[in-house]
Amino acid sequence: MDQSSSFEGQLAELLPRLRRFAHALSHDSADADDLTQATIERALRSRDRWQEGTRLDSWSYRIMRNLWIDTARSRSRKIAREVPEEEGLSIGEDPRDAMDAAVDLKRVMAAMGRLPDDQREVVALILVEGFGYREVSEMLGLPIGTVSSRLVRGRTALLAMVGER
Amino acid sequence: MTEDEKFFAWLDGELGPAESAEMEAKVAADPELERLAEQHRALGARLRVAFDPIASAAVPDHLAATLRAPAKVVDFAAARRARSMPSLPQWAAMAATLALGIFVGTMVPDRAAGPVEVQAGKLYAAASLNQALETQLASAPADSVRIGMTFRNGAGEICRSFTAQASSGLACHRNGRWQLKGLFAAPEGQGGSYRMAAGMDPSLAALVDSSMAGEAFDANQEKAARDKGWR
Repeated sequence: MDQSSSFEGQLAELLPRLRRFAHALSHDSADADDLTQATIERALRSRDRWQEGTRLDSWSYRIMRNLWIDTARSRSRKIAREVPEEEGLSIGEDPRDAMDAAVDLKRVMAAMGRLPDDQREVVALILVEGFGYREVSEMLGLPIGTVSSRLVRGRTALLAMVGER
Repeated sequence: MTEDEKFFAWLDGELGPAESAEMEAKVAADPELERLAEQHRALGARLRVAFDPIASAAVPDHLAATLRAPAKVVDFAAARRARSMPSLPQWAAMAATLALGIFVGTMVPDRAAGPVEVQAGKLYAAASLNQALETQLASAPADSVRIGMTFRNGAGEICRSFTAQASSGLACHRNGRWQLKGLFAAPEGQGGSYRMAAGMDPSLAALVDSSMAGEAFDANQEKAARDKGWR
């Protein structure tokens, strides 16, 4: 009983960060909270599969990511397709002047939503959630080189989308 | 690892000491790379400023309740169906505000003297916003910037909330500067008439709530803190 309350207690502590990750994965805030809810429920059901002593955060993030892939795959593909090609290619203008004058978080959040799933999750986990490359490689079951190359493509596309205005 | 990947791995602190020193020298010798590094540091800061308020906000009751009553199991699809409009969590409203984003650019039309600047990946108040945070008391008649609450955060820094035209936010004083902890656009249509008195932006309120250690300063404490340079 003690053990279960501590498992739930630890999950509760993770909840704010899990919600942040959910909102980075899904641009729709209601969907993001549903995803958070589904993740907690899955984590509670699968608690036997979590090994004491391993990181509960990585484990929970992985559950969320897999649920997101399961439920949102088709929709995300559609969104990714809708990104106009030029948008990914318009690198060149120095955005720093614009940065000084105008920080537009709406653009940043919307641009995250337009990244392909495989790049968005890596950008969110490393640049927003602060995980290391190796942690993400283990979490997603990907070679570290794949994590690294997706991160380069994702952040480059993101800067191209939000860097200028 | 390609050179590109190596550059970003360096930026993210992922290289070993030898490789890291090598890349650092390479970047220092190449203005193009230096510029790229600065752009990407700023991008990282923008991402964190965009998403951090979600982690600082209070968790909606229905999510926290799931952990208190684990017997109730609802799948993703059922949760979506079960979502009822009247009990739509406060978060939905907060996210809507957040999603409207930040339009700092609209606060001061002069690009050269923008109210926010980026340094080493952090956002700081500048120009009129910095001036107001430094000198203005909450009781002052609202000019272009209106000061809301002043308080200390968990790290002992003095923080002040502010409203400036269509945006509101929170800045904390650290090493002599006002670092922005969050910035929120007013809901659409309230831009012109948006005032602290009409109620604090819910996401700002959540951020203030999670940052504040102790009580908000009263007028005397606020003035005394200003006279001591916000330390």
